[in-house]
Amino acid sequence: MHMRLILAALLGFFLADLCFGQELNPPQQATAGNPFSIPTSGSGSATFYLFGPGSVVKQDVHLGQAVDVRGEDVTTAGRYTVILCGDTCHSAHFFIAAASPASLSFLAHPSRAMVKQSGSISGVVFPFDKFQNLVLSPVTVNFKMTTNKNSLFSRAVPTRQGVAWFRSDSGNTAGLVLLSASVNGLSAQRALQLVASDPCNLRIKAKQTAKGVLVETDPIHDCAGNTVPDGTIVTFTANSGAGRSTVDAPIKQGVARANLTPSGTTVISAASGVVMGNELRMDVKR
Amino acid sequence: MKIVIPVAIVVVTVILLVAGGLSPSQVGIAVGEGVGTTFTGSSTGGTVPEQVVTAFLQNVQRRNWHGAYAYLATQNKADEASFVRELAGRDASLRTFSTLSSWDLKPMHANDGEADIRTTMHWSTPVGVMASVRDLKVVNEQNAWRIVWPQPQLADVPAQVVPVNYLRWDLVTHASPEWGNSGVDGPRVRIVSMNAVSYNGGSVIMGEALNEDTVPAFVNVNATLMGQDGKPIGEESSFDKILHVLLPKQVTPYRIDFPNVELQSVKNVQMDIKTTLVPASADPVIGVMNQSIDTDATGRKVLKGQLLNQSGQIVNVSHVIATFYDTDGKVIWVSDGYVDSALYPQTPETFSVEVPSTVAGSAHNYHVVVNQYSLERS
Amino acid sequence: MKLTSLPLFLCVAAASIFAQAPPEVRLTVESVTPRAVEPRTEQSVVRDYTAAWKSLADASESNAPALLDAYFTGPAKTNFGREVTDQQKIGTHIRYLNQVHSLKAVFYAPEGDVMQLQDSAEYQMQIVSGDKIIHDEHVVVQYVVLMTPGADRWMVRQIQAVPAL
Repeated sequence: MHMRLILAALLGFFLADLCFGQELNPPQQATAGNPFSIPTSGSGSATFYLFGPGSVVKQDVHLGQAVDVRGEDVTTAGRYTVILCGDTCHSAHFFIAAASPASLSFLAHPSRAMVKQSGSISGVVFPFDKFQNLVLSPVTVNFKMTTNKNSLFSRAVPTRQGVAWFRSDSGNTAGLVLLSASVNGLSAQRALQLVASDPCNLRIKAKQTAKGVLVETDPIHDCAGNTVPDGTIVTFTANSGAGRSTVDAPIKQGVARANLTPSGTTVISAASGVVMGNELRMDVKR
Repeated sequence: MKIVIPVAIVVVTVILLVAGGLSPSQVGIAVGEGVGTTFTGSSTGGTVPEQVVTAFLQNVQRRNWHGAYAYLATQNKADEASFVRELAGRDASLRTFSTLSSWDLKPMHANDGEADIRTTMHWSTPVGVMASVRDLKVVNEQNAWRIVWPQPQLADVPAQVVPVNYLRWDLVTHASPEWGNSGVDGPRVRIVSMNAVSYNGGSVIMGEALNEDTVPAFVNVNATLMGQDGKPIGEESSFDKILHVLLPKQVTPYRIDFPNVELQSVKNVQMDIKTTLVPASADPVIGVMNQSIDTDATGRKVLKGQLLNQSGQIVNVSHVIATFYDTDGKVIWVSDGYVDSALYPQTPETFSVEVPSTVAGSAHNYHVVVNQYSLERS
Repeated sequence: MKLTSLPLFLCVAAASIFAQAPPEVRLTVESVTPRAVEPRTEQSVVRDYTAAWKSLADASESNAPALLDAYFTGPAKTNFGREVTDQQKIGTHIRYLNQVHSLKAVFYAPEGDVMQLQDSAEYQMQIVSGDKIIHDEHVVVQYVVLMTPGADRWMVRQIQAVPAL
């Protein structure tokens, strides 16, 4: 009776060893780039496979000994499948999480914005670890917008699912603005040009010359007082008995000017984009 | 049998030569008119003055300038160099890339001593066919008919220094863009108006676009016509009927033609504007002077005026685009035309663009812009 | 059936068995912030995400990393490309069968230049070594996905599996 029991137990252990010997017990989660070991049980040789996003490994192993997984084989965050094949194949899966932030992707828009525009500037930050994995655990991103070392905007935003973003009004003064995003000593910067809005109070004056009529604007500013950039087109129009004359003249050093050739009673006007200036009436003698 | 075929060939050749010599060459087929042929009154197809003009134009077509020059009358005769410059073009103007493809002659007046012939010359150019009309006076000089061709008034710009200090924009691109730092935003250009009209059995989409940005933009406008079933029935681009390089706050018209799509079959129009950052210069400034709507020699309504190149550089090819508005300020037509002469510094050059008869009556206002191409800036 | 046509019939049957149905993708955009997803963008994202997973399945089955070029960019393209190259070296390939993806847009940037989505994906994953299936699993996995607009399509820039969303 006792011998039968002993024999049955031995047989059970032998069968259990056959059926459950090739066991894999990887950690449920590890960090990208960190090596670890996966214990195995059983005896004999087997082939070990590691399939993951970004790497595939195959090596011969001895059952009962731990399988060493190198850090460079688990740099990409995601789901990994490990397989141990002897007489039969057994598998398991585990997750690799991103390491701590090592760089920031900072998408800032626009690269040019008009002054005094509500909600016209926005920025989005994604923190990545050194293996380009998106860091999903929350970190706080400090956004700042400065011009001439004056702060226009500052906000701390925690990431949600690896993203933080902000939106802000543009400032009142044209010029270069620096946008920065920082996380734990990491930072990224973007340059933004604030430009003048549409011309405001476009005014012209004219005088007769030997060549015709020289029309000139007053220095052109927007309604916040910023000089409208050079190169902006001002369209001058002169209507007279000789017909209509138009010149699209770019602003130079804050002023646009053009020579027109009307004759007789003349009405002169100017416009820039959708902004109209004043009208002048003069009697041109040629 | 051996002799029949050669004889037949000779006979057919003679017939073709005679037929070619008999018919006036209104389509410009050269028929072997030699240099210095004198017409004293033989009448083979058309009047003698018409034959003279035809022969003259055939030489122009062949670019045989000396041969053409031989047909000119002595009164007020242009010197040969100026004559050639006027007809052949100069300074990489559009005319220098053109050939005379055909012509139409219309006798206006004739007597024993002189005749007036309205000559419409059709030039093949890289931008299509262009017509130029000239009234030629043909006179009988010592029993030889000759064409009066006065000395052309070609631009002769006096030597001077013209400072160029207009703004120029250059583009610097990032060599290997990282995500989020790939460069500057493209220019903001907005379509500010759109009008769809029926024209000659087809459809025309036209309107204006404004560069709202502070940087120059290369612009193209596309339109897709959607049918009653919601499916596209036509897709076209503005091609050259637009000012492609728009400086900040500049407005351009655009016109997109759908010659084979009737407007009634269109349910709606989808507009798409494509813009790109490009290097550009605010120079040259071209003034459009003394614009007026008039009737040309052929009875068509035209918008004419003068282009004045206010820079110090020759503008080789210029392209005029005119926008016509009704009393409400709505764009009702966009016309365009190329000027086949170069624009010389500080020198006015005439232009004219056709105004369709349906538009001439209802146009309350108009605005002209100029596309320009200069070799030195290419 | 004639015996001569039997091999042909079997080939066609085998081909039809192994020819995969395209992935099934559903997208919800109700909870996206801060920008609403336009209807056309919604259609494009579904179309292009479907095409991306199909190209991943094709690349992985045939060990052809070039098939990833059309719909993957950035780290996603680099990582999957490396995976396909590595599995080819050891004589294995992976099949992604019967894919069903439930996509949810959670972030759409104010300027429209990036979209973050969560994908609850289900598929049958078979790993084949030589001609032997060494792993066959019905996988249910959550992905965090970043997509960015290309010239004429949305492309997958980042796709990262996580234990839970």
